[in-house]
Amino acid sequence: MSNKFLCLVLTVVLAGSGLAAEPERSVIQIMTFSQQPVWDAPWRFDPVRRSSGSGFVIKGKRIMTNAHVVSWAKQILVHRYQDPRPYLARVKFIAHDCDLALLEVEDESFFSGLEPLKFGDLPKVRSTVVTHGYPAGGEQISYTRGVVSRIELQNYVHSGNRAFLTVQTDAAINPGNSGGPVVQDDLVVGVAFQGMPGLENTGFFIPPPVIHHFLKDIEDGRYGGFPMAGIRVVPLQNPAYRRYLRLPDNDLGARVDSLLPIVATEKLIQLDDVLLRVGKYEVASDGTVLYEGNRVSASAAFQTAQRGEILPLKVWRQGKETDISLPMNVYEGDRSVGNQYDVLPRYFVYAGLVFTPLSLDYMKTLGQGWRDVANAELIYELYYRRSEAPDSTRTEPVVLASTLAHSVNANFKISNHALVDKINGVRIDKLEDVVRAFESTTNTHHVIEFVPNHAFETLNRADAEAAQVEVLKTYGVPKDRRL
Amino acid sequence: MNVRFIHCFAVLLLFGSGPGFGSEAAKKTPGDWERELVSVEVHRKQYDYFQPWTKHVQTVVKAGLLIGPREILTTADGLDNRTLVRLQKGGRGPWWSAGVKWADYPANLAVVTSTDEKFWAGLKPATLAEPVKKEEEIQIIRWRAGNLEVRKAEFSRFTVSHPNMSDAVHVQLELGSEIDGVGWSEPAIAGSKVVGLVFSQSGNQLQVLPSPFIRSILDAQKKGHYKGLGYFDFTWQPAENPETLDYLKLEGEKRGVVVIDVPDKRDTHPVLKPRDILLQVDGFDVDTQGDYVDAGYGHLLLENLSTRNKWAGDPARLKVWRDGRAQDVVYRLPKAEDAARLVPEAPFEQEPEYVIAGGLVFQPLTKNYLRSWGQDWERRAPFRLAYFRSQDPTPERPAVVILSQVLPDFYNLGYQESRQLVVEKVNAQKVNYLSDLQQALKKPVNGFHILEFTKGETLQKIVLEAATLDAATKRVLDRYGIDKESVIVSPAK
Repeated sequence: MSNKFLCLVLTVVLAGSGLAAEPERSVIQIMTFSQQPVWDAPWRFDPVRRSSGSGFVIKGKRIMTNAHVVSWAKQILVHRYQDPRPYLARVKFIAHDCDLALLEVEDESFFSGLEPLKFGDLPKVRSTVVTHGYPAGGEQISYTRGVVSRIELQNYVHSGNRAFLTVQTDAAINPGNSGGPVVQDDLVVGVAFQGMPGLENTGFFIPPPVIHHFLKDIEDGRYGGFPMAGIRVVPLQNPAYRRYLRLPDNDLGARVDSLLPIVATEKLIQLDDVLLRVGKYEVASDGTVLYEGNRVSASAAFQTAQRGEILPLKVWRQGKETDISLPMNVYEGDRSVGNQYDVLPRYFVYAGLVFTPLSLDYMKTLGQGWRDVANAELIYELYYRRSEAPDSTRTEPVVLASTLAHSVNANFKISNHALVDKINGVRIDKLEDVVRAFESTTNTHHVIEFVPNHAFETLNRADAEAAQVEVLKTYGVPKDRRL
Repeated sequence: MNVRFIHCFAVLLLFGSGPGFGSEAAKKTPGDWERELVSVEVHRKQYDYFQPWTKHVQTVVKAGLLIGPREILTTADGLDNRTLVRLQKGGRGPWWSAGVKWADYPANLAVVTSTDEKFWAGLKPATLAEPVKKEEEIQIIRWRAGNLEVRKAEFSRFTVSHPNMSDAVHVQLELGSEIDGVGWSEPAIAGSKVVGLVFSQSGNQLQVLPSPFIRSILDAQKKGHYKGLGYFDFTWQPAENPETLDYLKLEGEKRGVVVIDVPDKRDTHPVLKPRDILLQVDGFDVDTQGDYVDAGYGHLLLENLSTRNKWAGDPARLKVWRDGRAQDVVYRLPKAEDAARLVPEAPFEQEPEYVIAGGLVFQPLTKNYLRSWGQDWERRAPFRLAYFRSQDPTPERPAVVILSQVLPDFYNLGYQESRQLVVEKVNAQKVNYLSDLQQALKKPVNGFHILEFTKGETLQKIVLEAATLDAATKRVLDRYGIDKESVIVSPAK
């Protein structure tokens, strides 16, 4: 038992007399009642789900927690340390990309006697940290101690398609810990947020650089998100390739192998540029930078910028160094391949045919093993076409998500989960095209074509229009569309 | 029943009186089967497509059936890349040297023979049955530890599907049985006749090549008519939605299926058009599910009409509904083995192709390569490579070459993790075949080889030094114990 622990005991006693500011008093238990939409029946919601997480008070009478703790919330209740009274809270800011959120409490007396926790710096590898939170397995606050195992970029599971700086620790981080502070020397050095199934003694927390980026982002009253350069950098360690680019044979510089379709990036950056420096960080030949003593992917250097900022880069191009000022903006072109929140799914129901945009959320309705059972066309469309064949990419591919059975569509043989190619000769580039194609024709039949192989189905237009109201009523669809 | 069908039936009767197909009224004893059933031992080279320069030795023992003078019928499975074939009779005793008279892999049939007169002594030909009757008692027979094993099987159904590594589709018999470890040409028998050969097993379900299908090929082989199996290269969809037939203005009762995709062959004018309604094939009415009524089997998928006593190049008379009226067209059956596929089967009897350059291993993308991911390869193989199977070849991309792996060497430092990348260009020249790659490597650009891969989430470019490529290749071959830096069997295209 260390002196540190004895000191904590002492402060608990003092706290009882209303004088102390020990961290646990500012650690909050969060109860969330949430309801997610059903992505293949988008007018419906899943049953209400009760979940619990953790949070902590920061300055400005706000509670910091993870975005995933409060996503799709219908009601949020927060509990103070050893206080049975629930308080109603609401989301003030939510950052789904970096899995952080700030809550406000309707009754400001909630914050009475609570000292906001302060943030520390990125902890050192091998240093000791203590997680605070309300994990499963009991009702009271729980502490776990561990060391910082490593620091690198990891995928953030909440968004599913973004990676940021992450700290790995062997302190137990269990369900319910999410959103709780990770403390070192009474300062918050992270927000506990995810584990890794199958690995023992492995938990992850969001470190101060990501937290500060979020807090700075919201200073203008809204959360904009982490900007992306859209530059895919690969190691440049083959001597021949370095000679080909007339680059000195040292360990500096990683090669630009591909670009995302971001106008500023495509204008300023070229394939085979060699990235030498991003901001103040020198880029090594393996595509990493030395970030506060940790060797991490150069993406971390790009993530120091706020949206709208200009990031200075130094690249090697045509045999010499070139300075570039790269505007950094948020990229939303890959929104459909990440988990989506806050905005209810779009749909259109016609004659019992349910059309909705193709997205990862939709694909997950096929079950955990959706990659094994999904139509290959959908996977290709979602993940590959954008980069392989940009000219034929649709703005928002649309799928026939499900069919609400009615005599008008009962003879359809096309299976659900099929990618829609054309309706009445109109190429379906986005959901609005579906509506336009059905509503603008005067033909006796609607013809719906699918990918691949030009498979098609037909509807008698008069019968379809006559069935519309009945189908919606039968299946309890409040509106035929959400666009 | 139409005229065409009656004609076909007559042919079957003639088969029934041919050599090897003699009728036997009485039920046989096990002793009779012991003189008809032999064992076929095949030693073969089995290639590892992950390391195409390596070959394992595999020995397969399968069943064979005497069907005529010096002719043992068996399935073609396991006969490719053979190094030694032997026969054994009576389930025990000596093995006799043998050879393969012919093997047709798409049909999965082969005839094996031996020049040794003594082998044939005491053997007698089996009788291949007419279509199996559902109510008949069926058994599976095989040699096991020197004894004839006879196990009960139950008729399940007739199906029409791809039986093996081919685009050809034909009727199959599905049986249920408790027997295990079959699929190597074991005869399914009913009474005194053979109703088919078991060619695969999944749990208790056995897939069987039915005797009438086998007989039709054997007869055509004897007469010199056999040109390989054909197939329908167009795509159709059922027309069970009556609105679709109304939309296509079909008159009369609802019938037929709708053609939705016809390959663009460029060199030949397609006789079918998308949105034709296919009403009949060779006089057989096609219903809205795509079935026709076969006198021998009942309802079968119309695809069976591409292999029902027809071969590649033969005409099929199709009746289609087009432009508001029924029209007759003649469709020539393309050869299944020549099916234009972006991801083809690797040719039979051929060692895998590859090129090693500086430790980079290039291979054509074939189904055999994808199958290297095991039985569940359709799920486990890299999605992007497997997805090529659903794409049609085009003049711009008639075939796919991949960088399958890198054998590490200091020459390829930095590229060791690269694998399964689709090659687009080498030294600015388009690469569709390994021969393209070899040619392109003869023309470096300013002393470098520049390799470009398909756009996507994976690596898109590699640069190698040209001057030291040959030395690096030699070093890699030596270090990894590889005999040849390349195997390119198919002619340069």
